[in-house]
Amino acid sequence: MNNKPTILIIEDEKTIGNYIETIVTSNGYKALCAQNGMSGRSLCTSHHPDLILLDLGLPDIDGMEVLRKVREFASIPVIVISARTLEREKVIALDAGADDYITKPFGSEELLARIRTALRHSVQSADKPRAVVYESDGLRIDFDKRLVTLDGNEVHLTQIEYKLVSLLAQNAGKVLTYDLILKEIWGPYADTDNQILRVNMANIRRKLEKNPAEPHYINTEIGVGYRMRE
Amino acid sequence: MGEGEFSIADWDKNNKTKTQNMGLETKISEKKRRYWQYAKNMGVVFSFMSIATLGALAYLHLGQNDASVSIIYVLAVMFTARCTTGYVAGIVASLLGVFCVNFAFTYPYMSLNFSIDGYLVTFGGMMIISSITSVTTTQLKEKNKILKERDKMLLEAEKETMRANLLRAVSHDLRTPLTGMIGMANAYLEGGDHMSEREKREMVVNIREDANWLLNMVENLLTVTRIQVGDTKVNTNPEPLEEVVSEAMMRFRRRLPKAKVRVSVPDEFLMVPMDAMLIEQVIINLLENAVYHSGVEDEIEFRVTKEAENAVFHIRDFGKGIDPARLDTIFDGVGIDKNGSGDSHKGMGIGLTICKTIITAHHGTICAVNHDRGAEFIFTLPLGEEKNEQ
Repeated sequence: MNNKPTILIIEDEKTIGNYIETIVTSNGYKALCAQNGMSGRSLCTSHHPDLILLDLGLPDIDGMEVLRKVREFASIPVIVISARTLEREKVIALDAGADDYITKPFGSEELLARIRTALRHSVQSADKPRAVVYESDGLRIDFDKRLVTLDGNEVHLTQIEYKLVSLLAQNAGKVLTYDLILKEIWGPYADTDNQILRVNMANIRRKLEKNPAEPHYINTEIGVGYRMRE
Repeated sequence: MGEGEFSIADWDKNNKTKTQNMGLETKISEKKRRYWQYAKNMGVVFSFMSIATLGALAYLHLGQNDASVSIIYVLAVMFTARCTTGYVAGIVASLLGVFCVNFAFTYPYMSLNFSIDGYLVTFGGMMIISSITSVTTTQLKEKNKILKERDKMLLEAEKETMRANLLRAVSHDLRTPLTGMIGMANAYLEGGDHMSEREKREMVVNIREDANWLLNMVENLLTVTRIQVGDTKVNTNPEPLEEVVSEAMMRFRRRLPKAKVRVSVPDEFLMVPMDAMLIEQVIINLLENAVYHSGVEDEIEFRVTKEAENAVFHIRDFGKGIDPARLDTIFDGVGIDKNGSGDSHKGMGIGLTICKTIITAHHGTICAVNHDRGAEFIFTLPLGEEKNEQ
């Protein structure tokens, strides 16, 4: 039992830190706690955790600074903990290299799901570059055959729509920002206006979802991006 | 010490001369402004009079009857009064008009002659008519200005009441659950030995429920800070309607997983200008209201439709409906105390007040009605972007 994944929690609020630590340790992870950015950074260099939970509002240095410093020397997955009202902050953190974010207040289930996803993606990128098939609740995407089926029936997607769905599926469980998707699909010189992306997503939703008002496979995080169900 | 005093006195003196200077400056600028106003008024008088003269000449050139010339001048006087400030310009214009007509357009031409037959009736009448028109126009303008100012003041007052109502609702809605939570925590800590495991658990569950309620309240308050104080304007972006609805539903289901809601959006892809987070809050508040206040656990219907230039959101429950006496004031945050807050702290007060504030800031409308099997809240958001800019 020595190879429990280690999670570094950088959070200045003691109650929340304790709460996260309890959840994490009782679910088979090893927890390390830091209450400010500086000690968080040094713990990160000395212990090489498998994942970092980072609160952005720290007393000594900006959480964003910690994120940049960590990214300088390691590709450890980082999940940012943020307050609901600041979408802008989330986008900046994600674009600066954070793997995911979770909004306060969060439940234990949600937190554990995010941790699992982030850990799996980091293992995946190390071992094999991509999965061959995505499968979730009746939706199946065969990346080799470029075939999308829903409950066994083939779904006809346009070129762009297929690219979008497969990009999201390969990163299932992770939120992808508008900017990242636009760059991946439409190239680096794409218009920064995300209207075209959102129209395409609406079309995909009409082809995949039973009720577009309550999508089952692709969730929207307005102001940030999209997240595909695992 | 002495130095300090000196410098303070000095500073004071400096300040005084400064304010005096400033007084002088404002006086000068006031004088300048008056001269400028005066010059502008006279400019307007002369330009209108010249236009009238030119018009009259052209009219005569076309061989028309010269009796109508005075009407042209009366018109010019009216326009002058409309475009100038004060009474003087209008009266000067009417005098000038009479002279012009007498000088250029009545026989003998190109000479002033006040002894023509019937002069008194024609010119006196013209003088009186043009003076009265000019005075009335000026008065109307002044009145309009006063009315506008009064409207503005009324709007201010309305905003002030809205804020006061909000504060009252907030303090009420926050204090009640907090009291409950503190009480339960105390009971748990003090009497923990006498209570059964089940009772204890129930208490903690209650505390959690109240804390969740408070959390939504705080989120409501946070959304209000996004509406700028004193300026009911919001940052709107065109957002896909279905994405906003789906995110609101996701947040709502996370809070109340047991609630049954049937959602539908129009098939057509609609972009609606809005602040998505605020509208989500409105949806969540109204759904939550339907869950807590309908008194039944039947499925709630949440339907969005497109009607003319609006996106219309219907949230319909199948419960006991709303007391008709409260329908009119339900969004104003009043009547909370009257209604006996004993029943529960989950009052409708603050949530609905905030909904109204948000929707009004989006230039939409919100209302509550009773249908034959329960209550329905309806709010609209304008689709066109140009309507959102004022």
